[in-house]
Amino acid sequence: MDQAENVLEIRDLVKDFPAVRAVNHVSFDIKRNTIHCLVGENGAGKSTLIKVLTGAMQRSGGTILLNGEDYAPRSPKDAKEKGISTLFQELNVVDQLTVAENLTLGMEDTRLGFLRRTDKISAMVSVMNSLEPSIHPRMLVSRLSVAQKQIVEIAKAVATESDIIIMDEPTAAISEGEIARLFKIVKGLREKNVTVIYISHRLDEIFELGDYVTVMRDGRHIDTRPVSEVGDRSELIRMMIGKTVFEQYTPKEEACRDPILQVRGLSSHKLHDVSFDVHEGEIVGFYGLVGAGKTELARAIYGVDSHEGEISFKGKRLAPSPDKAIQAGIALVPEERRSQGLFTVLTIRGNVPVMNMRKISRGGFVNAAQERKVTREYIDKLRIATSSTEKEAAKLSGGNQQKVVFSKCLFADADLLMLDEPTRGIDVGAKSEIYGIVRRLSEQGKSIMIFSSELPEIMNICDTIYLLYDGRIKSTLRNGCDIDNEKILHIVTGGAAE
Amino acid sequence: MIAELPASRKRTLAGLSNETFLTLFMIVVLVALFAIACLFVPRFYLLQNVINLFSNYWYVIILGIGVTFLLITGNFDMSVGGVVALTGVLSVWFCQGYAVSENALANGLGLPYVAAVGLALVGALAIGAVNAFFIARLKVPSIIVTLGTMMIARGVAQVITRGAQRNTSLPDAFGVVGNTFIPGTSIKIAVLIMVVLVAAAYLVEKKTVAGRRTYLIGANATAARLSGIQVSRHLALLYLVSALLAGVTGILLASEYKAGLSGRATGYEFDALVIALLGGVSIAGGFGSVLGMFVGAIILAVVTSAATGLLLSPDWQFTLKGIVTFVAILAQRFALDKRKG
Repeated sequence: MDQAENVLEIRDLVKDFPAVRAVNHVSFDIKRNTIHCLVGENGAGKSTLIKVLTGAMQRSGGTILLNGEDYAPRSPKDAKEKGISTLFQELNVVDQLTVAENLTLGMEDTRLGFLRRTDKISAMVSVMNSLEPSIHPRMLVSRLSVAQKQIVEIAKAVATESDIIIMDEPTAAISEGEIARLFKIVKGLREKNVTVIYISHRLDEIFELGDYVTVMRDGRHIDTRPVSEVGDRSELIRMMIGKTVFEQYTPKEEACRDPILQVRGLSSHKLHDVSFDVHEGEIVGFYGLVGAGKTELARAIYGVDSHEGEISFKGKRLAPSPDKAIQAGIALVPEERRSQGLFTVLTIRGNVPVMNMRKISRGGFVNAAQERKVTREYIDKLRIATSSTEKEAAKLSGGNQQKVVFSKCLFADADLLMLDEPTRGIDVGAKSEIYGIVRRLSEQGKSIMIFSSELPEIMNICDTIYLLYDGRIKSTLRNGCDIDNEKILHIVTGGAAE
Repeated sequence: MIAELPASRKRTLAGLSNETFLTLFMIVVLVALFAIACLFVPRFYLLQNVINLFSNYWYVIILGIGVTFLLITGNFDMSVGGVVALTGVLSVWFCQGYAVSENALANGLGLPYVAAVGLALVGALAIGAVNAFFIARLKVPSIIVTLGTMMIARGVAQVITRGAQRNTSLPDAFGVVGNTFIPGTSIKIAVLIMVVLVAAAYLVEKKTVAGRRTYLIGANATAARLSGIQVSRHLALLYLVSALLAGVTGILLASEYKAGLSGRATGYEFDALVIALLGGVSIAGGFGSVLGMFVGAIILAVVTSAATGLLLSPDWQFTLKGIVTFVAILAQRFALDKRKG
């Protein structure tokens, strides 16, 4: 059969969110049986584009042609039936079932409700075998490694004759050896009549694996070209960051401030020998891409996850538990607002004072008047948009919810505030308000640690910047005029630091 | 109907928290049921009957306090019925005369009543500690653990009573607490204890830091931990308190009947759960109140007592309870959804 050269043609694709155009008139083609890489910073619009392709979101405008035909999936299942499978970071396998059962999941042949053993299973298994003979179909999926689970998913996509497999950061959670094996399989997919759309923050992978690369920035398509025509990683990085000018930030004088937090040789399953100091009144940024170990570092200091190494705060060894950390004067704004920071079914009043109940109670009894007063105070101070202190936190917008979480931490009277992705998913206005709060706190002598995967955020407010890659501090920078974005991106995508 | 209320009324209704709204709603249901019962059952409205409604269920209400707090944290306590039986039997056994008879079931440890009660409560706390250890420390689902301890507690009671009961060679002091009435009334001391405990529980729930913690844990245990709340410690404490309340109930019942039965309080754990749910406590945690549970208990009392008054055979009681539970909980869902609009 004579098939068109392009398996996918995207024309003028637009996706709007309230107040934001996440994908802005994007057009490019993907050639059949190639590995097509998609790169861009966080917020460049990659994820949104992928969500439209997989049917998880509906486009606002434009057309997509799959095999020359109009393609508009209504759901991920619909997308799969039309020929686009996705390997998400959260894998879609059922741990309690065997490999073979997972392969045929959702496509079982039944008679009178009973499962039948059919050729389908053996067909699936033979695909599986051709990809990775070491995985036995009778094995329980729970006993496989993450990489092996990915291979099971790939096998399923290949066996169901997907034209395209989208892989979203497949190497983020697997080891070096497994990466090599995965790459071999991905390269082999070209012969199986499968096109791969490959998303990764690790730029070296693009050069090793990719046939074509598409760069996106601020929701726009910047360029698509054969990887062989891209000179080197720095050229790619230039395309990714463009001429973005960051708001210049002059770091505070490095007067001889005292260190408030000292971390020495911190290691855990995701961190390797991390050491640094945070000084009084300093804003320290930890920048790294997804999987670099930012959240793990914050959680280790806060005493949530187990770790090795020395952490001392105000000269004393810090006991590893969140309540001890709070008592010592540390507060954390966690990464996941709704699941880790907020009590969504409770009111604003129920949320704000929780990290410092002592301050609004006497002898174990809550002073209700004071509780309301404090809540009102923070609603005013942080300009939380609400009609009353009794509004359920679930009913607030994302930005206002984040302000409630901030209120909680501010009320804890901490001397060190750790902010993990403090502005994720909130609008520009709320973002700049939060930056304002952070600056004011540091002027009052509080120390702040910001863990972020958004470079502008880090550049905007931090005095000192630590670059994380693969659980290690790769480089330390003073913020200021001589800061080099390209170099930063080079390091956090796995390039060598000099 | 809410839409037809004048604007000012509407605003005051909307200003209520969901919890208050639901409690008020259940009180309205209670009043309606009571009115219906008065129409059909002769002499249902008499003061004595009303007093009976409030006092007949004292034991389930005491158990309901612990169960409600734990439900608010998102956990079950199914062991309370077993603990009632165990502590009752223990208090009898500790108190029975030492080597006074050839009948093994008439012989006990010969301890004074106060010591017997104290030790029996220690037995209750031991069950609570097992619950606390497995649920708070090892994070085993509470329904599994407390179903286990429910059977262990009752099992030990059965061993001690050899599957029957102990009711002989007890000192006179044993029957005092359970058979004393508030002077001038026909209300038992146990009912007064229940009222005091409910009032105390209401205070703890609404006014104390411990009460706040209970809701926070139920609303989001992860966020609670990250906010510095010692989740395990608080859960452990609640399991100990729940067991202690069940222990007190067991001692009061044993004293009332001057006997320790291994089969006492069978199914009470479900009654306690039912009244909490009737009172609007959310099985998902983070929502509910002791006051609601209390109203739930009275609703159940009205229904069962009206049924008896209508000469419905007691065989129908279970079915009736089941129907009431369904209807009440559906009504709650409906009212809350309506409110959210």
